[in-house]
Amino acid sequence: MTVATGTQAGTAPIRCRAVRDSGLIAGRNLRVLRKNPGRMLYPLVQPLVLLVLQVSVLGNLALAGHAAGAVGESYRQFLIPGIIVQNAALTAPTTGLALLRDAGSGLADRFRSLPMSRAAVLSGRLASDAVIFTVQAVLLLAIATLLGFRVRSGLPGMVAMAGVAVAFGLSIAVLSAWLALLIGDAETAERTLYFPAIAIAFISSAFAPVGYLAGWMQPIARVNPVTAAAGVIRSVAAGGGLTVPLAELACWVAGLILIPGLLAARRWQAPQ
Amino acid sequence: MDDLTPAIEVSGVRKAFGQVTALNGVDLTVTLGSLTALLGPNGAGKTTLVRIIATLSRADAGRVRVLGFDVAAQPKEVRTRIGLTGQFAGLDDGLSGRDNLILIGRLAGLRYRQAVHRATELAATFELTDAITRLVKTYSGGMRRRLDLAASLMASPALLVLDEPTTGLDPASRQQLWAELQRLRAAGTTMLLTTQYLEEADRFADYVYVLNHGMVIASGTAAELKARAGTEGGSLDEAFLALTATGEAAL
Repeated sequence: MTVATGTQAGTAPIRCRAVRDSGLIAGRNLRVLRKNPGRMLYPLVQPLVLLVLQVSVLGNLALAGHAAGAVGESYRQFLIPGIIVQNAALTAPTTGLALLRDAGSGLADRFRSLPMSRAAVLSGRLASDAVIFTVQAVLLLAIATLLGFRVRSGLPGMVAMAGVAVAFGLSIAVLSAWLALLIGDAETAERTLYFPAIAIAFISSAFAPVGYLAGWMQPIARVNPVTAAAGVIRSVAAGGGLTVPLAELACWVAGLILIPGLLAARRWQAPQ
Repeated sequence: MDDLTPAIEVSGVRKAFGQVTALNGVDLTVTLGSLTALLGPNGAGKTTLVRIIATLSRADAGRVRVLGFDVAAQPKEVRTRIGLTGQFAGLDDGLSGRDNLILIGRLAGLRYRQAVHRATELAATFELTDAITRLVKTYSGGMRRRLDLAASLMASPALLVLDEPTTGLDPASRQQLWAELQRLRAAGTTMLLTTQYLEEADRFADYVYVLNHGMVIASGTAAELKARAGTEGGSLDEAFLALTATGEAAL
């Protein structure tokens, strides 16, 4: 047995190292999912189960309220966009936890010792999570349609709604990445990150119009990005105008991707 | 870089974590083509020094040059020339051995075909061909260590840095890993390694540095260290204990 001399690294013509390395990391993340199908349960199966359960239980209860004149439109039509956004928010912490899993293993040192782009671990994770958010949104919309959700804007509207869910999910994923790296410990992060994700879903218009929430919740719900995202999806589904919630959502998405994104990248790259 | 340039030059390196001083003015030199061992009790600063050399950590003071490049100012140049095998395997358990090697090769700058070719070659070298398509989480400790070493060699580095590469391995796996390290040395790869198994340093290292409390307290060949400790004819363990005890007394 002899140790072969091999080929010297760094000879590949690299136009943009960061893009290439992000693609490699994203491909790795998706391959891990494909080879370990159990890891797809949380991001892809659980949201569907939640959708069916929430619509089956809450939808009928609220219809009773609707019959009594409590809500002025089909509650099912109101609820489903909220559930889609809620699932994106609940999936987002997996981004931070996956980064922490890498950071806590010898793999992080391996990556840091390679001449690869330092941002690629984070951007590659976000790229692969964008694929997961997309598949999740498509599956949710398909099941929602079976449950009676109607989209007046047709297929373009469906695509727009999926886009909103992905953009919103990614922005919360970036926030979770930064918070996870800030916390530093996988167990603590796991216990910490899901709580705000649940809280922002409830203190919003995801399940009820803001005016129906407890008084102290209403100011928070009005500025909550979940309210903006759910509002955009409802507007698209109704085929109506969406200028105000879209601008609000765009500000939230851009802000959450840029600021926590830069902070997370700095934290990942910082020499210890 | 000419043949006279040391593979590693460490001068006056200091590093503290809060109130704890990990390295307190370390100087050492590793010559090209040599296998140099870094010994020391737990907490002596070995891993901290290895992490600085491998560009994973930054020294508070002092200078480190690897293959002629400053680790703080030219980390990318250093990273293209070194391979690191850390204390914990730098592998993705959710991928096959082959996928791990190809990914690491690609991230090190190899083209896809080059990475595939190199992965196949190294799998054969490390006797992993039969297991290379299996998920790494199914590997034994010895197989993981060999795959980890193979991953460090994907880009054919001129310098291999190994942090306790044989810790936790059974005697047969240790022997196999050492056989592979010796072949690497014969092929001209410079190696710096830390180990808790002093008999390994005794048998295989060209030069030994002993660290204690973040300082180099002795250096030389294993024979020189034994002579200095007055334990000629004995094991390096005895010399190590004598030298560290002297160091403790001096402190």
